Amino acid sequence: MPGGGQCPDCGSTELVEDSHYSQSQLVCSDCGCVVTEGVLTTTFSDEGNLREVTYSRSTGENDGVSRSQQRGLRRVRDLCRVLQLPSTFEDTAVAYYQQAYRHSGIRAARLQKKEVLVGCCVLITCRQHNWPLTMGTICTLLYADLDVFSGTYMQIVKLLGLDVPSLCLADLVKTYCSSFKLFQASPSVPATYVEDKEKMMSRTLQLVELADETWLVTGRHPLPVITAAAFLAWQSLQPSHRLACSLARFCKVANVELPCPAPSRLQELVAVLLRMAEQLAWLRVLQLDKRSVVKHIGDLLQHRHTLVRKAFRDGPEGLEAGEEEEPREQCQGPGQGKEVARSPFGLPAGKRLAGPALLLPPCMLKPPKRVCPPPPVSTVTGDENISDSEIEQYLRTPQEVKDFEKAQAAREAAKSVSNPDVQAGQG
Amino acid sequence: APPTLLTLGPPPMEEEQAYLELYLDQCAAQDDLAPPRSLLLSPVVPDDGYIPNTSNSETVFNSHLEEVKASGHFSSVDLSFLPDELTQENKDQSVIRSKQDIEENCETPGQQSRMLLPREQDVGLGLISGSTLLNSHSQVYPGDADPVQPSPEKPNCTPLMSITPMTPVTPVSECSGIVPQLQNIVSTVNLACKLDLKKIALHAKNAEYNPKRFAAVIMRIREPRTTALIFSSGKMVCTGAKSEEQSRLAARKYARVVQKLGFPARFLDFKIQNMVGSCDVRFPIRLEGLVLTHQQFSSYEPELFPGLIYRMVKPRIVLLIFVSGKVVLTGAKERSEIYEAFENIYPILKGFKKA
Repeated sequence: MPGGGQCPDCGSTELVEDSHYSQSQLVCSDCGCVVTEGVLTTTFSDEGNLREVTYSRSTGENDGVSRSQQRGLRRVRDLCRVLQLPSTFEDTAVAYYQQAYRHSGIRAARLQKKEVLVGCCVLITCRQHNWPLTMGTICTLLYADLDVFSGTYMQIVKLLGLDVPSLCLADLVKTYCSSFKLFQASPSVPATYVEDKEKMMSRTLQLVELADETWLVTGRHPLPVITAAAFLAWQSLQPSHRLACSLARFCKVANVELPCPAPSRLQELVAVLLRMAEQLAWLRVLQLDKRSVVKHIGDLLQHRHTLVRKAFRDGPEGLEAGEEEEPREQCQGPGQGKEVARSPFGLPAGKRLAGPALLLPPCMLKPPKRVCPPPPVSTVTGDENISDSEIEQYLRTPQEVKDFEKAQAAREAAKSVSNPDVQAGQG
Repeated sequence: APPTLLTLGPPPMEEEQAYLELYLDQCAAQDDLAPPRSLLLSPVVPDDGYIPNTSNSETVFNSHLEEVKASGHFSSVDLSFLPDELTQENKDQSVIRSKQDIEENCETPGQQSRMLLPREQDVGLGLISGSTLLNSHSQVYPGDADPVQPSPEKPNCTPLMSITPMTPVTPVSECSGIVPQLQNIVSTVNLACKLDLKKIALHAKNAEYNPKRFAAVIMRIREPRTTALIFSSGKMVCTGAKSEEQSRLAARKYARVVQKLGFPARFLDFKIQNMVGSCDVRFPIRLEGLVLTHQQFSSYEPELFPGLIYRMVKPRIVLLIFVSGKVVLTGAKERSEIYEAFENIYPILKGFKKA
């Protein structure tokens, strides 16, 4: 802008501030003579006062993106960093978020849903890379309700048409076990409770596999099973000092939250182990119970495949197969003679239990809570005559109507006395 | 060596003509049957070595069967040309012949629902494996003078005559013997007049109206035991009935109640919107395996819900499959869709029967 300067060449006062690339110049608009020039480079002291421009602001990548979406994308990246995921996951999760945002239903959704969507995208990315992240973890990090999360998750999977693999149990065991604070002595962890990480992890894995084989995992939340398995594994590695410790105390010491179903899973797993122990002659004589069986978990796991086959049957066919099988495993004790003497139906003489148990999910073994009687055959055609009396039984007589109205008015009067807001009660 | 039960290669011309005429005679008696098309005229390829049952062929067939049976079991017979599923020894070779035979051979669930109205059972049978020819078979056999009966020693070992050449890919549709029970029917109807909900709630004993919570009157009747949502626009939703007829009767009763309250209610556009059925296959199911093999249809998230959600494309039904073997089917507009969906899922579930 002309500020009183004069062009030294032609003397005109029309000086314009213009920049030649990044260099500011004062130029005469008549003759084009450059009157003054700005500084192209900055001195060291000058640069101290400048701030760097971030990549995302210097490029045009955010130009077409709404602020709400930008915020969501930032949240996705933050979540990936908090979870310490590999950098490739971040890009995939961001891509999913952008893809979701193209749908109008997502764009118009509430902020709560958009926040939860961030978690969904990260979860889907992790699942596709077999990274064991549970929904519970994400909900805790996002302070979100599992119900809201589940609704958004199912919706987005359907909307984007994605194939999301199941949670990988083995990886989850490793990750979850690593989070237990039992591998080093500390003020809260007594010396007898400290355990070797590898030993505990491998034994927990074997117990979880056993649970999976015996129908304790299908249809249930995976985490409580792992908690119960980890507890048993830990106990069995030093039973003398640890049998007295309860599951709740174990979780407290290990600084891990105790999931609600874990005690029930523990009971079921111990029941399976007891059934397996019945197949080993030298354990059968010990008459183990749910506490003492823990001492022998090592042996039971070592022979678990054979023991499960012998201890359980799938049905009548399984029973016959069990009979035909030769007792060829190496764990035959002195009771072999007794064991072989079986009746035709597979019941060894003098055995306590009535033969091999059925290998079924616990929900099929429990007796039904209430037996639904089969409904009577209905011969309704839909076009029957409807008698007046039948309809009138549902209507109020005029007297009843008056009484009802009086009662309603009285109730509303009482309410408005106690509460100034008038409530519209039943019509 | 015993003669092969079914010959490869086309039968002699005269025999073929005779079979064709006899078959067509029987078919002509039935109005709703499609002509047998290429059933007999196509050369006998491995999959359709079977010639439909006629009184002439029966004796020939029977004698073959007796010879085979005399040899003890089918393994001595060269069955290699049959599709894999049919050569399993303990495969249930159920016969879709007549309603009576179904009840003999298949496992009866022991429920009254097995004594279905003839109409319902027809519909169920007609849609098994989607082949109209099965329907024709079920019509043909009762008319036969001497239908081949299953061998008395092994009630489940029925002759191979149940093979239908028209469905080479799907195995012989074994009737699962289980009929899903309808648990809930949702229907809508238009009463075609504006309603004063306050007045309805005042004059009807069985009505609930809380405008702050929901903008409709909730009315219930005892017989059939149902609930209705009645809106001020005159539209009504009726839920809780166990059959289509009951739903219609219930909706009519609600309309009568509204009429008696002084509104000019009509009964327009009654429509069944949703039907829910359930049944039990009685064996545990490995849901993790099912979600792996049928990934494009299944959704199994044990962290959220213990059941597997299976979205079947044809018919368009959603099934909830649980580890205990209980199956819930929903999303049907017609009863036949539920039966068809279950017959489609049953062989898939059987594949996951053992660990």
